[in-house]
Amino acid sequence: MKWLDSLTENSTRAIAKRTSRRGFLGSLGIFLVGASRLPLLPVARGQAAEKPGAAPKAAAHSDKSPADNSQDPTSCEYWRHCAIDGYLCGCCGGSQNSCPPGTEQSAVTWVGTCHNPADGRDYVVSYNDCCGKSTCGRCLCNRNERDTPLYVPFESNDYNWCSGSSKANIPYHCSTARIVGVAK
Amino acid sequence: MPNLSRRWHWVGLLGVVLAAGWRAASGFEPQTNYMLQCMGCHTPDGSGEPGRVPSIKETLAPFASSPDGRRFLIQVPGASQSTLSDAELAGLLNWMIQNLSVPKPAHFMPFTGAEVTGLRRTPVVDVQGTRRRLLQSLHLGRAISRASLSSPN
Amino acid sequence: MKAIASIPVGTFRRVLTALSAAAAASVLALHSPAHGATPAPLPADPAGTVVTLPAASPHWVWVNDFVFPHMTDGQARLIDGDSGRFLGMLSTGFGFTRIVLGKDGSVIFSPETYFSRGTRGTRTDVVSLYDPVKLSAVGEIVIPPKRASNMPMMADSELTDDGRFLLIYNFTPAQSVTVVDAHSRTLVGEIETAGCALDFPTGPRSFFSICGDGTLLNVHLDDTGHATTRERTARVFDVLSDPATEKGVRLGNTWYFVTYSGVLYPVEITQKGLILGKRWSLINPADQAEKWRPGGLQQLAVHTGLNRLYSIMHRGGPETHKDPGKEVWVYDLARHSRIQRIAMKNDSGAIQVSRDAKPLLFSIFIESTTLDVYDATSGAYLRSVENVGTTPTIMVVP
Repeated sequence: MKWLDSLTENSTRAIAKRTSRRGFLGSLGIFLVGASRLPLLPVARGQAAEKPGAAPKAAAHSDKSPADNSQDPTSCEYWRHCAIDGYLCGCCGGSQNSCPPGTEQSAVTWVGTCHNPADGRDYVVSYNDCCGKSTCGRCLCNRNERDTPLYVPFESNDYNWCSGSSKANIPYHCSTARIVGVAK
Repeated sequence: MPNLSRRWHWVGLLGVVLAAGWRAASGFEPQTNYMLQCMGCHTPDGSGEPGRVPSIKETLAPFASSPDGRRFLIQVPGASQSTLSDAELAGLLNWMIQNLSVPKPAHFMPFTGAEVTGLRRTPVVDVQGTRRRLLQSLHLGRAISRASLSSPN
Repeated sequence: MKAIASIPVGTFRRVLTALSAAAAASVLALHSPAHGATPAPLPADPAGTVVTLPAASPHWVWVNDFVFPHMTDGQARLIDGDSGRFLGMLSTGFGFTRIVLGKDGSVIFSPETYFSRGTRGTRTDVVSLYDPVKLSAVGEIVIPPKRASNMPMMADSELTDDGRFLLIYNFTPAQSVTVVDAHSRTLVGEIETAGCALDFPTGPRSFFSICGDGTLLNVHLDDTGHATTRERTARVFDVLSDPATEKGVRLGNTWYFVTYSGVLYPVEITQKGLILGKRWSLINPADQAEKWRPGGLQQLAVHTGLNRLYSIMHRGGPETHKDPGKEVWVYDLARHSRIQRIAMKNDSGAIQVSRDAKPLLFSIFIESTTLDVYDATSGAYLRSVENVGTTPTIMVVP
């Protein structure tokens, strides 16, 4: 898909190979910056979950400075994007918490938790999709280590969540990463 | 990692009892658990999506007031299949009743982990039918028209 | 005469020479060629000629493509695995998952979604019906506008074993299965499958869905296609620590599922109901130490006659269960042992094996536009076909 690569900023196949998983939209190999290096607080899941406020996870998960790109909303390594799977609305005329002009935000979505190294807190992040135009095609980013199959929907990246909303039951355009609260 | 040296042969017929409490705790507070496990479909205030996800605001407290209703709240797949321990599911239901209910109930009998354990292993299969019957039996007529899912053809 | 006399002599001679040459050429053209002279002109082609497909071959493969960058333009594209020829395609609308081949070969079913203004407007879902020889649309059945839009899975839509009923998985996010009568080509209705996903046929009038707690929802239908019973089994899959993927394959009366770590779960269809057979790992301890695990979008395939299971394999840590692989490992299902490792020419994200006695192994990858073809018995690489799609997903064989 070389022609598609050339259309997308900062994308390389080598970066794609470093990404740990592929979800609904993440299989195309056109990524901004790849692997999940940030301290990731997983969506609560049984024995694998870690209680927030426990010993810092940065050392275990990251082998580079957490400040690199972690505060840049148009970067795949933006701290909120720890569980995102789609095109970044910030590259599509919107932002990490707002939809581009003329699109509809889907209320129904899937949700993750991410660690913000800037203030040391864990936040609940809601990845509401913006819908109603064909795919934006810019800044495809996929990071999530807790993906589940389709039969566990609320942690599954493989659904087109635009179709889950009555108002936004229309084609997928891009994804936001909205803070909805502190994970505690 | 599965133990390859042991021969597993597990007959999965109806009626085999599940081990209780096979889910470990998430460690989060109820409000965070709501955000992670429920909010994505039921939306932050429980309003849901007209015709797709029913509003739970009007029905949480009334359901909690009857044995059949309490059973439904524990056994509806979104609850029973959540990745929470039994105690946490009880805590989440109590938080939801106290914080999402419209109107707020004057009092209600809180859920306990033991109550959840006793009921959770049997998810409801006929969700729409069970819910409809509950709404009728609790005389929640207006809530039916406002909150009902679109019915199957 | 005065006019002719005023033309310069040189010009007159050049004109005469040109006229003579033209005359000579036309004399030659009028005669039949002899010894290398110009042949007669080709006849005109008749207008309106449309090819129809030749007799179906078991070595044909349908590549389903949801065309991710332009999802309103879903497609199913037909390739002849022997000749490598592109035979034709179907245009199949938004969020396309897969076509379903009618079991008697008389029709192709395609659950599709359309918006009245392309990317907005009223949504209509249909099962389109296509003539399998002409590849033209011959009808449609309107279905509830709820079909799941997801990463394509075979279990998004399947026929019951006798081909009578077509099942379509819905997600709104409420979960249900639409039933269509494939014979009368009418909508039967919708079966609520709350908490459970997809549809895995188990007989002429039965299927199961996989539920979020690892149980199965076993559904039986009557002869009109309505559900008579819906029952949850006991827990089959371990959702929390090593989930099975949804990418099961059926051989005989067994559905095979593989987990993230490579454990094979056979779900057997018996008179007593669904039974979990003996589980075994596709990855021996030495390979586990090397972090081999299955991956891909259509990661498993089976061949009935050879009684073999094929699985895409790669080396990677946990959470790489969707990564492509450069190997396909082949297993003898009777002996529960691996008998072959096929090295793939390119990354493989989806495999399929033809059903005949000399089967082909097909391999595609969503990031590539190339289809690779192998001998499924020997593992020998045979050929590649270029430009089979934009984002090819999963494959269907006759």
